Amino acid sequence: MSEIVLQANGLKKSFKSPTGSLNVLRSIDLEVHAGESVSIRGSSGSGKTTLLQLLGGLDVPDSGVVKLQLANQGMISPHRCLGQGVGFVFQNYQLMAELSAWENVALAAQIAGHGESKKEALTLLALVGLAHRAEHMPSQLSGGECQRVAIARALINRPAIILADEPTGNLDEVTGKEVMNLLLEVVAERNAALVLVTHSKEFADRTQRRYFLSSGVLTPA
Amino acid sequence: MVSILGVGLGVASLLVVQTVMNGFGEEHRLRIRESFGECVVIANRPIAQVDELISSLNLQEEVLSISPYAEGPALTRRGSFSGVAFVRGVVPTDEDLPARGYVVSGDFNDLDDGRVVLGIGLARDLRVKVGDKIDLWSPVMVDQAGKGKAPLPAELEVCAIVRTGFSEVDNRAAMISLRRFRELWSLGNKVHGVVLRLDDPSQAPAIAARLNQGKPDLRFVPWQEIKKNFLEAIRFEKTMLFFLMFIITLVASFSIGSTLFSAVIRRSREIGVLIALGAKPWQLVGLFGLQGLWIGALGTSLGFILTWTILAFRDGILGTINQLFGDGDMVANVYQFAHVPLHYEPMDFFIAAIFTLLVTTLAGLVPALWAAGRKPSEAMRDV
Repeated sequence: MSEIVLQANGLKKSFKSPTGSLNVLRSIDLEVHAGESVSIRGSSGSGKTTLLQLLGGLDVPDSGVVKLQLANQGMISPHRCLGQGVGFVFQNYQLMAELSAWENVALAAQIAGHGESKKEALTLLALVGLAHRAEHMPSQLSGGECQRVAIARALINRPAIILADEPTGNLDEVTGKEVMNLLLEVVAERNAALVLVTHSKEFADRTQRRYFLSSGVLTPA
Repeated sequence: MVSILGVGLGVASLLVVQTVMNGFGEEHRLRIRESFGECVVIANRPIAQVDELISSLNLQEEVLSISPYAEGPALTRRGSFSGVAFVRGVVPTDEDLPARGYVVSGDFNDLDDGRVVLGIGLARDLRVKVGDKIDLWSPVMVDQAGKGKAPLPAELEVCAIVRTGFSEVDNRAAMISLRRFRELWSLGNKVHGVVLRLDDPSQAPAIAARLNQGKPDLRFVPWQEIKKNFLEAIRFEKTMLFFLMFIITLVASFSIGSTLFSAVIRRSREIGVLIALGAKPWQLVGLFGLQGLWIGALGTSLGFILTWTILAFRDGILGTINQLFGDGDMVANVYQFAHVPLHYEPMDFFIAAIFTLLVTTLAGLVPALWAAGRKPSEAMRDV
């Protein structure tokens, strides 16, 4: 078995609501190994996105621990190393409207302090089939193309794990399949692990391990 | 863009007011110096050893010229019109007499023992113009009349009329030759004082204090003391206007702050993404704080350009305002200035720039600090 790149133990998260505390996640345990793909399915509002945000350090759990394997640094909390060990792919792409495709990709590298990163950004855009659209602004790209840019952005810092939150949720069926094929392909090529949150059983079936989130509990599917 | 314009207008309003007020202040200070002298030497009684005093003052490097004078009130009359004049006896050939610069009719060079130069207000009161003659009674003549004598008044021809802009000068001043004054006032060879012109008028208080040493009978009065209350009033006026303009600029700054805050709120989603990509709080603070600084820098530059433009066309602008409201030329009629005076003070520009940059940077920093403290999961939910 390859080494663990992400480990979550006893994750709990609740939100305040007008009717009282809403327990979204109740003691979640999860391990993801290097190069492994994992899918999490669940109905709307089941807490899939919340779980992914906790795993990626975008939010903090009420209790429980998330640890991420970072090269030369061992296992550390992901919110302490945002942008370094994890790459995000969001449902609605989350690209910067004022930046071109290649600038959006390079931005992640620049924030991480990798300096001049245009060449790497262009290489990744070529990898996702968008070399000819590098100078285009997000408003000039289709939804599928925007998501390809987002995938390239997620890969630029060579993260150990990619967290994808319904990456095909805003795309039509054909484009969604293309983007999913691409995501699985490039993640495998870069030997990164993948945690995929999706509604689609078809896409989930293409991952190595599958989970279902319901009533705040994660169970193997 | 609107924020930059707002800052520019705030800076321009502050600097235009300050620069014009500086101009009025400078102009008034100049007129005080020219009307009353840069340093006046006076004594408790008429100065007898005037030649010795002049010789000793001539040895001082800072003293450019020395003008002895005598002064006192007198009754003036022309026909059925009369008035009280404050007569000053001067040396007619003295080229440094400041009044020479304020002649509005006639010729100051015509002043001699039989002629008089009048302030424009006094000339109006007496209904005289250049070439007319007036009668003048000094207090000595009044004394003689009290003793049963009937002295004839001195008959003097008006050779010039001056307008300095100071009502107390213009409404009462009459200048005659020092020799005639001594004769009419029975002053012998004495004078009442000496007016000094200095190479650096701003140093008048220090020079006066130094010259005063060892001369207990004399008092050297710098021009800043002669019209101290007036100068204080100008300074107070400027301070008050700065305070009012400061409040206007402060209000403009709050609008910049709210604009930047709105911009940060609007970009919450992007801020969340930046944090997710690893942006550190200091990078976000820098980004939005710099935006405030940038707006401040551009706004200040725009303000400087607007200030220069408005002041360059100030007379035309004021003329248009006067035409619209039918007020007449206030600057000429009230202040006797040919143009709206102005004086660029680099320190005012420096203070305005520093203040504006500080406020706009803070206005950008506060929302940036707020943004940097947000959870990315929350920020990305905002659209």
